[in-house]
Amino acid sequence: MSAFSIEVLLALLGLAIVLAAAFLPAVSQRTLAWTGIAGSVVALLLLCGASHAESSLPAFVAPYYSLDTLSLFYKAFALVITALVLWLIAESDSTLSNYSADGKLGELVGLPLIVCTGMMWMASAKDLVTVFVSLELVTVAFYVLVAYTRKSALSLEAGVKYLILGAAATGVLVFGAAWVYGATGSLSFEGIAKGVQNAAVNKSVLLFGIAFLLAGLGFKVAAAPFHMWVPDVYQGAPTPVTAFLSVGSKASGFIVLTRVIDALLANGSRVTSEVTNLLLISAAITVLLGSLPAIFQTSVKRLLAYSSISHAGFLLLALASRSSARFDITSGGVVAFYLATYLPMTVLAFFVLCVLRRQGIGDSLDELKGLGRRSPLLALLLTIAMASLAGLPLTAGFLGKMLVFVAAVDHGYWGVIGCAVIGAAAGFYYYFKVILAIYTSEGTTEEPVTVSIASKAIATALAAIILILGLYPRPLQKVLAAPAAASVALGK
Amino acid sequence: MNSITPASIVLLLPLFSAFTILLLHKQLKGAAALISIGSSAVCAIVAMIMLGAKDTPFGEPQHILSFIHLTDTINFDINAIIDGQSRGMLFIVTFIGFLVHLYSHGYMKDDEARPRYFGSLSMFMFSMTGIVLADNLVMMFIFWELVGLSSYLLIGHWFEKPSACDAAKKAFLTNRVGDFGFMIGILLLFGLNHGSVEFADLADSFKNGPLHDVKEHHQWVITAAALCIFMGAVGKSAQVPLHVWLPDAMEGPTPVSALIHAATMVAAGVYMLVRVSFLIGASEFAGEVIAGVGGITAIFAALMAVQQNDIKRILAYSTLSQLGYMVMAVGLGAGEAGMFHLYTHAFFKALLFLGSGAVIYACHHEQDIWKMGGLNKQTPATYITFAIGTAALIGVPFVTSGFWSKEGILGAAYEHCKILFAIGAFTAFLTAFYMTRLMIVAFLGKPRTDSASHASDPPLVMVGPLLVLSILSLTSALPIVRERLQAMVPHEHHSDAHWLIVGVSITALVAGVALAFKLYKGKDKDPLNIPLFANKFYVDEFYAGLVKYAQDRLAWIVTGLERIFVDGLIARLPAAIACRIGSAARSLQAGHLQGYTFLLGAGIVLAIYVAVFVLPRIGG
Amino acid sequence: MITLNHYLFVSGALFALGLAGVVVRRNILVIYMCLEMMLSSANLALVAFSRFHLTDGLPDYSAQALVFFTITVAAAEVAVGLAIIVAVYRAKNSIDVESVTKMQG
Repeated sequence: MSAFSIEVLLALLGLAIVLAAAFLPAVSQRTLAWTGIAGSVVALLLLCGASHAESSLPAFVAPYYSLDTLSLFYKAFALVITALVLWLIAESDSTLSNYSADGKLGELVGLPLIVCTGMMWMASAKDLVTVFVSLELVTVAFYVLVAYTRKSALSLEAGVKYLILGAAATGVLVFGAAWVYGATGSLSFEGIAKGVQNAAVNKSVLLFGIAFLLAGLGFKVAAAPFHMWVPDVYQGAPTPVTAFLSVGSKASGFIVLTRVIDALLANGSRVTSEVTNLLLISAAITVLLGSLPAIFQTSVKRLLAYSSISHAGFLLLALASRSSARFDITSGGVVAFYLATYLPMTVLAFFVLCVLRRQGIGDSLDELKGLGRRSPLLALLLTIAMASLAGLPLTAGFLGKMLVFVAAVDHGYWGVIGCAVIGAAAGFYYYFKVILAIYTSEGTTEEPVTVSIASKAIATALAAIILILGLYPRPLQKVLAAPAAASVALGK
Repeated sequence: MNSITPASIVLLLPLFSAFTILLLHKQLKGAAALISIGSSAVCAIVAMIMLGAKDTPFGEPQHILSFIHLTDTINFDINAIIDGQSRGMLFIVTFIGFLVHLYSHGYMKDDEARPRYFGSLSMFMFSMTGIVLADNLVMMFIFWELVGLSSYLLIGHWFEKPSACDAAKKAFLTNRVGDFGFMIGILLLFGLNHGSVEFADLADSFKNGPLHDVKEHHQWVITAAALCIFMGAVGKSAQVPLHVWLPDAMEGPTPVSALIHAATMVAAGVYMLVRVSFLIGASEFAGEVIAGVGGITAIFAALMAVQQNDIKRILAYSTLSQLGYMVMAVGLGAGEAGMFHLYTHAFFKALLFLGSGAVIYACHHEQDIWKMGGLNKQTPATYITFAIGTAALIGVPFVTSGFWSKEGILGAAYEHCKILFAIGAFTAFLTAFYMTRLMIVAFLGKPRTDSASHASDPPLVMVGPLLVLSILSLTSALPIVRERLQAMVPHEHHSDAHWLIVGVSITALVAGVALAFKLYKGKDKDPLNIPLFANKFYVDEFYAGLVKYAQDRLAWIVTGLERIFVDGLIARLPAAIACRIGSAARSLQAGHLQGYTFLLGAGIVLAIYVAVFVLPRIGG
Repeated sequence: MITLNHYLFVSGALFALGLAGVVVRRNILVIYMCLEMMLSSANLALVAFSRFHLTDGLPDYSAQALVFFTITVAAAEVAVGLAIIVAVYRAKNSIDVESVTKMQG
């Protein structure tokens, strides 16, 4: 079985769940959600067992489909985050169905699987056509997911904002693709890589296209100055969907960006300094515009949105710091590592918000007060997540940031590093504000918060992953280091 | 991939045990002790098997775990050096550790918090093994701190007692002072040697590498690094002036005192110094300082021991004094002599502490020797083993191990520095004196209190370890035993001075024992009263005064500076700027869709402008 | 003779008009139409580049394939988008962008 057929089956499962939700009212929402979770876990197992040779692919997809370590990593990443998001949806079904149009969850359970298919396919994209189609598969599904709880005014508003801005970004992306194609004569990454080395290509036309292309992709990953949709959409969307946007959508944006940048910065590229500088400028602004406004936030969800922008800045910095001889891990690998550390902490934070929401506790800082007494476990988990997001040593978040900083220092990007340090320092302030609220302030009630045992186990496992990755990241680094070693071998 | 090696078993099994007990201590209850004892038994057996293992070449340590691997130059692995030094030490640590675990099973029988105790003990075993196996300074430092942590937990085991709490804090904080220096030393070497702190690399680098050049041109830098590293040992091995924590650490349970504060952890400083002996050898001045500090510690601690009445405190001061001997040997460039004394001392000092534990147990937690007496009839097994331990400590010639190892150190001192030799000899005299005093007052004569007259030998689980250790105290210096146990032995040199040294040792011994008998035989009260010694030279009071007067003044100035520079210029000013920018950026997020689309459009125009018109010009 | 530049000029003008419309119009439906115009301009550019990028006398069809995908995806986007716009109208009785400004800061 090839990786490609897993994706087809996953999409079919998603459709089946959507249909079942519409036509089989007897099946409960939680059953559907757990079917989805089971489906993605099985898919993950199949992916591990699947053949990783490109020859296993059907002939009609093989030319457009790559199966390198990075794409396999992102496929697994997509499956993991999908399963976790479905778990969050199952966890908060009672709150969500209050706000959906028909009092059911229906598509909210099926669509994540289709998004997942899009993300997995995107991870294997070899050309801009595939990127475009899979990216749109993800984005259009997200339009529905964001606006799904449409009885809530915020969700609807978020849906409209995401729709208009997202569609505009799509237009920009295609327009950029057209001009890059016009300059290099190719839509495949391989062809673009050749084109940027070709002295006959008109550099201005190329840069014009690249600016549009990067703007379109920058929008998807929440890079400044195309980040303004993030706070509003994250705050308004149903919490599980926010988690999905924050991790899944960002990861899929970054795999595409990694591929595009790899092509644009191929050895001998004539636009190296321009593209690198664009990335660096964007990284610096992104970190600052993400972390500084976060200082003032009173809604934890909105705070996490700004934090997500700031993390995107770090990822852009990692992307701009091309691999050097000192690293056994490429810049794409650093991005992947950072995202892998980002997944558990973000999901954990949103999980706590979901559980609290179900108990009628909102996401403002005031309402979190006294959580340390109401549920010591949730408080501890949220503390671990926040500490890791801030980048406290011995947590996964620290190592992610550390890798980025080491790579950037290697290249001497001191200006951007300065901005990143300011951003990280501000991060300590606003993440620890949450921790402070949990433990030090007296809440209005001391009524305990209940969590099911299965959820406790999954959430504790996520916290454990954060700590283990923070202490012993070597296995993950080894997985991600493999392609670099291979490419070095090829280069020799 | 990582295969399971004996070294990884010895290192990770106690960690596993500690974690299991930590997570499940409510469910496990009594089983916690069994897990911990079992793991230490397995470790002792594996360490014993490893005694026969081959050396790994010095530069190629056995790989256990890749810890942090940032780049090819910045990476810290958990590796193990397997050589004579580490194998011998590993055996001491695991074997005495196992005996102490066993002994604790009896000693801590009635303690409510036994799982916590055994969990911390396992944690200690893990940390100590890490120090022994460490192949680089960073790994050693990590485990160094972990040892400090587990020591803190164990000293404060009875945290309901304020004195135990204070002692734990004191030990931790005093160690921090030393560790601070240690860390600076590591960073110095890290910088000088271009990011590598592996022992093999450092040693190479001194021969022909960056450190060699530094040594040639800037000798003082090497001296500074050596002294900073030595500060770590001063803290952990309780040398003057950071010795104050060790006597107070006796607030912990007695088996802990035997394991941590006599046989293993406090010896870690000496072990570490021997590991970096190439560094000490590179700076003559540092060696002199180290030897001097060791000598001063040896004699001062012995003087203080003379006037103590608490059985455990006497032993604690004697430990200080013996550690002083070892450090002195290392400073004199006779690391083998120091390690050899460490090795013999570990057995007989553990024996003495466990014996004192048996006495305390028998006398219902009475620790004052003047309230004991006549225990030789009540507790014969304890008496005999304790006497053997004492004999080894004071170095009864030819039959005890202590004699041989102490003689090695005195020989080294005689060779290098006559003053230190005199100090060493006088300390030997004092040692004989205060240990005989202890024996006479506590064990001979008539019982002075009820608890002493009703005392009886403890159960077999506690006496067993005593017997094993007393056999080792007598035999561990014999060639047949010490070769098996991979002890590091000083080179034998039968110079003319050899018999002189033996003669001086024996004279000191006889004089000390005779004086003690003369003064203390049949006394119910201490005939000697030297307040200076009894009050430990007023060092604690001096520190208290220092803290009270100097620190307050200093703190006042520092606070003022901090208000202006740290708080004002570094914290508040940037914070205010950040807040301004933040709120400005926030007002961009006005919530209006049109505003957002405008920003999107403006962003695109800006991107094109920068990409097409600005960057190509400056980027060239 | 109409050259590549003519097509690109029209395409660029369409894109700029679309973007300007998105920025200045207040009716969400009209904004949405402007967005479609931006996509069409991209399609025009793609087709033009493809037509003028001849290999062996034949156009390069991969760009034209992208055009078909764009049209298809745009249709899907419209379906979802209109549904959301209708939901907004039902909830607010207005499809003015000023009716959705609750979240800010």
